[in-house]
Amino acid sequence: MKETFTSVLEKLRKRGASYAEIRAQNNNNTFITVRDGQVEAVTLSTETGAAIRVLAENAWGFSTTNSLEQNNLEKSANSAFSMAKAAGRSVRETVKLAPVKAVEDKATVLVKKDPREVGISTKVNNLLTINKTCFDFDKRIKSVTINYADLATEQTLATTDGTFIEQEKMFVWNYCWVTGKSNGIMASARDETGAHGYELFDLELPRKIAERVSKKVTQQLEAKTPKSGLHPAVIGTNVVGVLAHEALGHICEADLALAGSAVMGKIGEKIASEQVTIFDSALIPQGFGALKYDDEGVSGQKTLLIRDGVLVGFMHNRETAGKMNVSPTGNARAQDFRFPPLIRMRDTCFEKGDYTFAELLEDIKFGYFLEAFRGGQANLDGTFTVGVQSAFKIVDGELGDPVRNVGISGNTLETLKQVDACGEDFGLELGRCGKGQYMFVSPGGPPVRVKSILIGGS
Amino acid sequence: MNFIGLCREAINVAVKAGAKEAEALVVHRHTIGSEIERAEIKTCTDVMDVGMGIRAVESRKVGFAYTNILTSGELKKTAENAVKASKASRVDENWRQLPRRKGYPPVRATYDKRVTDVTSDETVLLCQRMMAVAHEVDKRVLPAFGGVEVLVQEAVCLNTNGVEVEDKGTSLVCALGTMARSETQVSPVCYEFKASRMYEPDPEWVGREAGRLAIESINIGKVKAGKFPVLLEPFALEAMLTYTLVQSVRGDIVSRGRSLFKDKVGKKIAGENISISDDGTLAGGLRSGKTDMEGVPKQRTPIIEDGILRSFLYDNYWGRLEGENSTGNASRGGGGLRLPPYGTTPTIQPTNIVLEAGTVTDDELIREVRNGYYVRSVQGAHQSNPETGEFSVAIAPAWRIKDGEIAYAVKGVMITGNAYDMIKEISLLGKDARQVQTFIAPKVVVSELNVVAK
Repeated sequence: MKETFTSVLEKLRKRGASYAEIRAQNNNNTFITVRDGQVEAVTLSTETGAAIRVLAENAWGFSTTNSLEQNNLEKSANSAFSMAKAAGRSVRETVKLAPVKAVEDKATVLVKKDPREVGISTKVNNLLTINKTCFDFDKRIKSVTINYADLATEQTLATTDGTFIEQEKMFVWNYCWVTGKSNGIMASARDETGAHGYELFDLELPRKIAERVSKKVTQQLEAKTPKSGLHPAVIGTNVVGVLAHEALGHICEADLALAGSAVMGKIGEKIASEQVTIFDSALIPQGFGALKYDDEGVSGQKTLLIRDGVLVGFMHNRETAGKMNVSPTGNARAQDFRFPPLIRMRDTCFEKGDYTFAELLEDIKFGYFLEAFRGGQANLDGTFTVGVQSAFKIVDGELGDPVRNVGISGNTLETLKQVDACGEDFGLELGRCGKGQYMFVSPGGPPVRVKSILIGGS
Repeated sequence: MNFIGLCREAINVAVKAGAKEAEALVVHRHTIGSEIERAEIKTCTDVMDVGMGIRAVESRKVGFAYTNILTSGELKKTAENAVKASKASRVDENWRQLPRRKGYPPVRATYDKRVTDVTSDETVLLCQRMMAVAHEVDKRVLPAFGGVEVLVQEAVCLNTNGVEVEDKGTSLVCALGTMARSETQVSPVCYEFKASRMYEPDPEWVGREAGRLAIESINIGKVKAGKFPVLLEPFALEAMLTYTLVQSVRGDIVSRGRSLFKDKVGKKIAGENISISDDGTLAGGLRSGKTDMEGVPKQRTPIIEDGILRSFLYDNYWGRLEGENSTGNASRGGGGLRLPPYGTTPTIQPTNIVLEAGTVTDDELIREVRNGYYVRSVQGAHQSNPETGEFSVAIAPAWRIKDGEIAYAVKGVMITGNAYDMIKEISLLGKDARQVQTFIAPKVVVSELNVVAK
């Protein structure tokens, strides 16, 4: 394979490509959906394909093929080259890729249980256990949907810079959506978890997952909607990572920063309170962002975005790093061979502080504890929203009644200044992020207190 | 490639391996596009994706397998995998049978040969034109991202119940996201697009509108919290109703007891001025075609007529289970892991949701609001609660309406409420509709929503 790839790349270089890469994959995936105890479909898939990206005349061309035969790779390479030429006609600025050392390596994922070696029946049984435990938890539970996936990828990345990396990627992912009903009131909760190997269900017993999500549903059935307006809040470990991801992460992706996001030109400035340190890391072994190399062959690392309140860096690929004269950070990731790599987050987290949970709560006369998120979204101008599925009132420093359907929103540059304490615990979520392509990411952090944040209720 | 032949071959293998029923679906997609990044056309793409998904059923156990390698050997392996998956699965009590053969409706304006002839060079020219026009609106407009994309798709579906159908479609999209900066303010991203099934590129209109929106979003003024009438553009309406109303009329959601509308057919659930249908046969509709993704003919299904709930949306599986006919709403692919269209079994999704337009002009809508807000788009709608309808979203771009006129842009504002109440409180419907994603809707005025601000 190496010879074939090198020969295709060499031809591109001779034609005038300043850089080119082939990213080939063999993917073996399993998907299972269980709805209210019925196994809807067990799905097995085999995929092969290659993505070819060419930089020529300061523009990129991208093409894909589903065959790794030399003649098909060449056809696709030619197409990518002409795509680059087509785009290059109008480009005014030059593209300088940040230099990287050529790497030849074979990287494996350390897992205890390779999902490809686990029988379908075991996988189905675990999901049926989750389903049954949910229905047994409380008779108000009315509906349970479970989506399970395991994805195993063998990737080969070859570039004209001499990099040749064979790398495994593995993700085991489980998502539940559970609905309860009581006296005509309906409520639901979601639970998303994952690991790199099938040991997921040893670390997170199916029962435990089921009880965790079911408990949220029953809580929601008794919850009231919150009071709208500005309130102090303690943002729990399940929500804080989403805040890091949505409020800061996206606008610190260098492509979006350069497009004019709210933090552009603010490196070195204090944009948050001194309690805030936020990083994006490829080095947390259990995190979904843990990767030895990104999809441009850059080594995974921990990248500081905010240190003690000061904005210190962005997340880069080789192109944006070259443009801003910094080192690439290893954030170039692609969903699969159908897509070009984009700047994507890995595990984006607030750094821990030293407050106990009780200390975080004690000075709040009235506010909210945001326990579990539903989703989030960011805008380049720094406006973020985080939907919260379960929350509690804080009254006189103590947790009070549950509230439901809390939305929080704010502007990064204002909200991060409101953080006045970080807790000593640390949580990591295993989830997904969408930016045209989906990506497995792990947001995380300690519980964090904000003096004031906009809460939307009804 | 002869996709029908390949499908037949795969079905035969599955039946030989023990499947009682089998289905094969091939989807072939070719996209050519140019991408805009910070006022430059930085990338052109030429992406071909093809694959086959095979469903095999044996003793009411359903298995599915897919591959993107369409060689005889690999298809045989995949068909056998589908049977293997079905054998390892459990009996699905809800399973009835695969769709049966039916006639297909004629659907106009979904395929245009001229779209298939568009080259990457032409997409570059269209991008250039779009950006130039945006820049002409005002020098402070930055085309931050966007692009032009041409899609040619062919789908073939065969099954052991006699279904054999091919459908071809094309689309051409021009899209632009702009931002504008003044000395003190930065606008939110302002997004505009024009998508058509036929060769009708309009880069000038997209550039002009995207530029105008950004400039009109940097003159930021004071916000007032409280209850106000709100004008919603189709962008906002689509986001707010897709994650609430549309979920609750899905046959699977209804059947599983998760919809508030479960026993409400024939009852009033919306204002008398509200009529909504799902129309997969609409000429030129972005989601129109003769067949859905399991070979069932697409159709027009009334959902709400004059405020009365009429019917729900079904695919073959849930339709048969509920004793209803499939409404041709089987969709494939996508979901949380953005799988390719041949990569999943069907789920129920809307085709083109049509909210019937009213008679009111834009100026009249704004005059009628008098003192309130004008909302182009919302952020965070996917966090709404589909079961209860509760939403709480940030609004941007959005403007304050004072004395019946748009006064200035606002920032840092949320609106909260309940989507199922909202459809009872739409006081006016505009006369011009446009399609955004699955929605074809006019601008509407909601008589009162809760505006939350600092």
